[in-house]
Amino acid sequence: MSKPYFSRFLHSLIPAIFLTIFSFQFVNAQDGEALFNANCKACHAVKEKVVGPALEGVETRHDHAWLLKWIKNSQAVIKSGDEKAIKLFNDNNKVAMPPFNLKDAEIDAILAYVKKESEKQETPAGGAPTAVAPVKEQSKPIWPYLLIAAVVLIIISGILRSVQLTLQKTVRAKNNIPEPPAMTRKARTLYWIRNNKKLIAGIIVLLVVWGNVKGWYTLMSIGVSQGYTPDQPIAYSHMLHAGKLQIQCIYCHSGAEKGKTAGIPSANVCMNCHKFVKKGPTTGTEEIAKIYKALDYDPSTGTYGPNQHPIHWTRVHNLPDLAYFNHSQHVVVGKVACQTCHGPVQDSMTVISQYSPLTMGWCIDCHRRTPVKMEGNAYYTDFHKTLMERMPGDTVFTVKDIGGLECSRCHY
Amino acid sequence: MSKRYWKGEEELRNDAEFVRLKNNEFYEHLPLDEIVSQKSESTSLTPRRDFLKFLGFSVAAASLAACEAPVRKTIPYIIKPEEITPGVADYYASTYSDGYDYCSVLVKTREGRPIKIEGNTLSTVTNGSVNARVQASVLSLYDNARIKNPMYKGNETNWETVDKDIIAKLSEISSNGGKIRILSATVLSPATSKVIADFSAKYPSTKHIQYDAISVAAMQQANMESFGVRAIPTYKFDNADVIVGVACDFLANWISPVEYARQYAATRKLNKGKKNMSRHIQFETALSVTGSNADKRVAVKPSQQGAVVANLYNAVATLAGAPVVNAPAAGDLKAGIEECAKNLWNAKGKALVVCGINNKAIQNLVNATNSLLGSYGSTIDLDNPCNLRQGNDADLSALLTELNNGEVAALFIYNCNPVYTLPSGKSFGEALGKTGLTVSFADRADETASLCQYICPDHHPLESWSDAEPKAGKYSLGQPTIAPLFSTRQVQESLLAWAGTPSDFHKYLSEFWKSGVLSRAGIGWEKALQEGVVELPQNAAKNYTSASDLNAAAAALAGSTGSGFEGVFYEKTGIGSGHQANNPWLQELPDPVSKVTWDNYLSVNPKDAREKGWNQGNIVALKAGGTSVNIPVYIQPGQAFGTASVALGYGRTAAGKVANKVGVNAYPLCSMKDGLMTYSISGAEIQKTVEEDYILASTQTHHTMMGRSIVKETTLEEWKKDPKAGNEQELFKKKVGEHKVELKKATEITLWDEFPKGGHNWGMSIDLNACIGCGACVVACSAENNVPVVGKDEVNRSREMHWMRIDRYFSSDFDPKEGEKGDLKKMEIPSDMPQVVYQPIMCQHCAHAPCETVCPVIATSHSSEGLNQMTYNRCVGTRYCANNCPYKVRRFNWFLYSDNPQFDYNMNNELGKMVLNPDVVVRSRGVMEKCSMCIQRIQEGKLNAKREGRKIKDGEINTACAQTCPTQAITFGDYLDKGSAINSLWDEEGRSYHLLEELDVQPNVFYLTKVRNTEGKKEA
Repeated sequence: MSKPYFSRFLHSLIPAIFLTIFSFQFVNAQDGEALFNANCKACHAVKEKVVGPALEGVETRHDHAWLLKWIKNSQAVIKSGDEKAIKLFNDNNKVAMPPFNLKDAEIDAILAYVKKESEKQETPAGGAPTAVAPVKEQSKPIWPYLLIAAVVLIIISGILRSVQLTLQKTVRAKNNIPEPPAMTRKARTLYWIRNNKKLIAGIIVLLVVWGNVKGWYTLMSIGVSQGYTPDQPIAYSHMLHAGKLQIQCIYCHSGAEKGKTAGIPSANVCMNCHKFVKKGPTTGTEEIAKIYKALDYDPSTGTYGPNQHPIHWTRVHNLPDLAYFNHSQHVVVGKVACQTCHGPVQDSMTVISQYSPLTMGWCIDCHRRTPVKMEGNAYYTDFHKTLMERMPGDTVFTVKDIGGLECSRCHY
Repeated sequence: MSKRYWKGEEELRNDAEFVRLKNNEFYEHLPLDEIVSQKSESTSLTPRRDFLKFLGFSVAAASLAACEAPVRKTIPYIIKPEEITPGVADYYASTYSDGYDYCSVLVKTREGRPIKIEGNTLSTVTNGSVNARVQASVLSLYDNARIKNPMYKGNETNWETVDKDIIAKLSEISSNGGKIRILSATVLSPATSKVIADFSAKYPSTKHIQYDAISVAAMQQANMESFGVRAIPTYKFDNADVIVGVACDFLANWISPVEYARQYAATRKLNKGKKNMSRHIQFETALSVTGSNADKRVAVKPSQQGAVVANLYNAVATLAGAPVVNAPAAGDLKAGIEECAKNLWNAKGKALVVCGINNKAIQNLVNATNSLLGSYGSTIDLDNPCNLRQGNDADLSALLTELNNGEVAALFIYNCNPVYTLPSGKSFGEALGKTGLTVSFADRADETASLCQYICPDHHPLESWSDAEPKAGKYSLGQPTIAPLFSTRQVQESLLAWAGTPSDFHKYLSEFWKSGVLSRAGIGWEKALQEGVVELPQNAAKNYTSASDLNAAAAALAGSTGSGFEGVFYEKTGIGSGHQANNPWLQELPDPVSKVTWDNYLSVNPKDAREKGWNQGNIVALKAGGTSVNIPVYIQPGQAFGTASVALGYGRTAAGKVANKVGVNAYPLCSMKDGLMTYSISGAEIQKTVEEDYILASTQTHHTMMGRSIVKETTLEEWKKDPKAGNEQELFKKKVGEHKVELKKATEITLWDEFPKGGHNWGMSIDLNACIGCGACVVACSAENNVPVVGKDEVNRSREMHWMRIDRYFSSDFDPKEGEKGDLKKMEIPSDMPQVVYQPIMCQHCAHAPCETVCPVIATSHSSEGLNQMTYNRCVGTRYCANNCPYKVRRFNWFLYSDNPQFDYNMNNELGKMVLNPDVVVRSRGVMEKCSMCIQRIQEGKLNAKREGRKIKDGEINTACAQTCPTQAITFGDYLDKGSAINSLWDEEGRSYHLLEELDVQPNVFYLTKVRNTEGKKEA
């Protein structure tokens, strides 16, 4: 290794070392948060009661040693006849806090995190990173450039025209050619047309072609709502739930494995989590309150009232009635990922948007090229043999080969 | 001798109307002449200029509408019920029992609303079949004519007020000892009987009276006299080798038709292993569904029926060496009766005589005949009696007297409509005014309910908890499949509330069952509810000997001789007694025999019509017993000479807009004789009126197959000799060499390329020997496939939309030597009493479909699974396909039936639309449609198999028609599945044949030849 290379290696090492040191410094604080999220968050929040009490100021209420004992094995403390523990247990509907196998240092980290969070001032947006990313990157408009270009072109052609006129005048003056007789505007136009037939023909052809192409695409896009992103009654973000929180699509859209519709989850499915998660990172309590309102749920008492109203979502994916589509066929049998048709909902969709055109051509395209998952499915055993006989040499067959382009597969 | 088939009188006579329909499937009047002569410009409803304006406007509107998709909302459940997955159907075992029909059913629900009724295969009473009426009852649930609140004197009220008022009135009546009467149709439900008993315990002056619109009370009385058992026995047609029916439509209407049809068909089916079938002889007046299926049918006048039964008894008694009675003379029927007796006697112990006449003397003789034949314990089971039709005419008569005398203080009317169904309905209605408290539990303000003070509407059976005991020891449970649509209340809850013990009937029922049936059966409530039926061990059927005084019975018959024109009143398979008359599916179901929809009529034999100078559609005045009705004439071959028949159940006045003023009410023409309801008349006066001729909407000559031979028929004798008897194929000449010609089957000479086969090849088999023509399949198909109801006018224009039809062919033996070839004139005499063949026809799903080749837009195409696919959204409505279809199974949507107030049936109101199957498209105007072989069910079945990673089990996928068929005449399956039932039925050297084989369109539907059992004829 030559010297310059070695020195470069050393140089690059310095920031690496710095980074390592800095990261070590942050470990404690992050550890407390991570440990809190992993162990406590299911039942506790810092500023409000969930299953267990709010943890704000917990260290002022209980002494440190007692807390350590309690967190490690609360039931043992209760059994030991500790009055404070029994009262705490009774006050919280006798829901037992499970024992935690945590080191003292780790509990300290959690408590430090709780303290830090307790001191934070309540800010409406929660100071969370902006989850609202633009659905599509706004392409910069090109029309100002075009406008400038057009003005420049007009100026240039004006200059050229005046140069041309001056030159003509000069030539005429030099060769003593008399001025041509003045022409009316109409005569001038006709004169110009006569001399520029090819140009005009070309323009007409271009206009006709452009009109047809434009018309064709306009017609083909009628009823196609690709990119349709209507406002929804609740600012529900797939990016947050499916992306950041990694909730499986099937958890909410459970119909996708069973029947034709994937289904919009009923509000009670939301409550599986939102009974505990009362505040979101983006909109705080505002949007979650809408679920509570639909269910007439009172989060402070945890009771449901009688005035329940369904949530009127705006439907995004609208197939016409004449087409029969079955989710379970594609999800279970075809093993097609949800994202194939619905797009990267977990990566970019804060508001759900129609990703695919949902046109028949789009369906057919996929049926033409997608191989059928025949192996391991006894339904296809004989069918596979028949197809091998019919199409010798092939072993993989597409949906088209099993009749997936026939009308009555989808239209009945 | 050779057989000739024809569809109706019109075809024989070659009527102008028939020729028009035959030659022009889509007849329509186009005002071309007027347009050309420019006369229309000023007179036409839409002049040309307006037309162009409309055209321009609609084009502009359509393009605007197409650009902006409407915003659609999607509203999920707030709390989703665990068992519901949107898009997946749930099935609930339940019971349909309306006092007339009974079936153990499975109710298909989608997102909490019932959309179809299917049979419960666990029931040994109905065996997974349902008839047309039960099938259609799901539409009656969504009937807009149902009342939405309790009513008091025509005004809406609420349950609290009703309860308070009625309890107050009942207490007063009870304390005065006033008579309280509950009048109902047969109550099949043991729990309801207990509720009535509870009510009676609270108000001891209560009496419960049951009566049936179509009564068989004489059977109970006769069984009491003959055997000391007041009951209706269980019949076991499947044990019978010889069946004799006297005026008894047991395949379509009599007592428990679904059960009997299944048993009957079991004795009629033939295959390689089963070479014998029952012989069925029928004596009757009107041509009934049962009579039309008989091997031998004898048309008799109602007045001769007694003589037939008495002489049959005598003939059997002679053979048995028993004493004979002094029977009325049978005249020229004697030889036939004796032949019949010999048939029965030869099958002793496996013979059965059934009789539908509500006459005690006749029923006593029938009992004695069956007793001599050893039928009890074999084909008749009196130890496990049938509980359907418990009506007691004597009790009813007593009640009528009490009512007329104003002795009744309170009358509760449940599940019956006496003002409409009683011959003395009018006076019953007047008597209601003399009664202190009148309460009806009807679901609508019908003829009776509208005259009652209170209407306390009962739930529809699909909204109710219920139970039934159709047969001793055979119980079934019913559960609600939808929350009550209106503010109605179960009749049981009403009675319990008024008895001062208000209770939830669900709880009441489960406690009643737990302490009774379930503890005896040793099973739990949940399981009973899931399965829908609980069947306890049956008693051993014993042999019985008749002990009634037969001479007295014969003497009673001697007096009853007919005079003049005689008539009978009968039920149709669709409308029945008329309680579901407001159901458009049933109104549009063509009658199996006459093929007339939306009407009843006076059927007369062609011979009588010729003699009297009546023509089809003439309005005649029928006068009997002081009542007169005006009714159109229908010429019905097979009707006994000198008789007429009229269907009951029509002429409703307060059933709802579908049924009101459809047909004529014939109940007032019936009478109460010797304390028994009598459904025949003699000495009827029939006078032609001057009224304009009436058009009956008959489908019989629609979609005709141009006289080609499509029904194949043989006799048992011939079939035993040659399994291919009657199924000879036409052979064609084919040039095979330079000068050589060979005879080949049509299928061997083909111009077509084979389609590549995929994973399945769906097909269907229809056994003409099992099909009884009842029409249950037609209603099932309409329910499954959202087939619209088009109404009488459109049926008249041959525009009925039913995807399947049951062709009814008449045939008669006819020697062509007698007349010139093609001269059908000579057939007129034999045609008065023809034989009948039923043939269900739907799309044949041809492998080489003629419709596919002519479609200019490829809207109809072939699938790799053997189906002929119809793509509605591609169709532009040229109707070329229908023209080219040799089977005439394609139907054209002339209108948007679903959103056009002109067709004010179920598809045009929000409530009625709830019955639509969400998996099948509602077709738009201007497109063709036809049987898809229930493609939605095929796709669903395939998907279930794929999802579970297994092969499809044979029978797992079934079409709606095959599933509901009470006789299992239709079998659906996959030809590529070697072990499938359909493959075992296909027998090229036997009865299997394709319709119009000579066309070589290679249908995927095949038929099995009809076989008639004429063997008994030889033996006799």
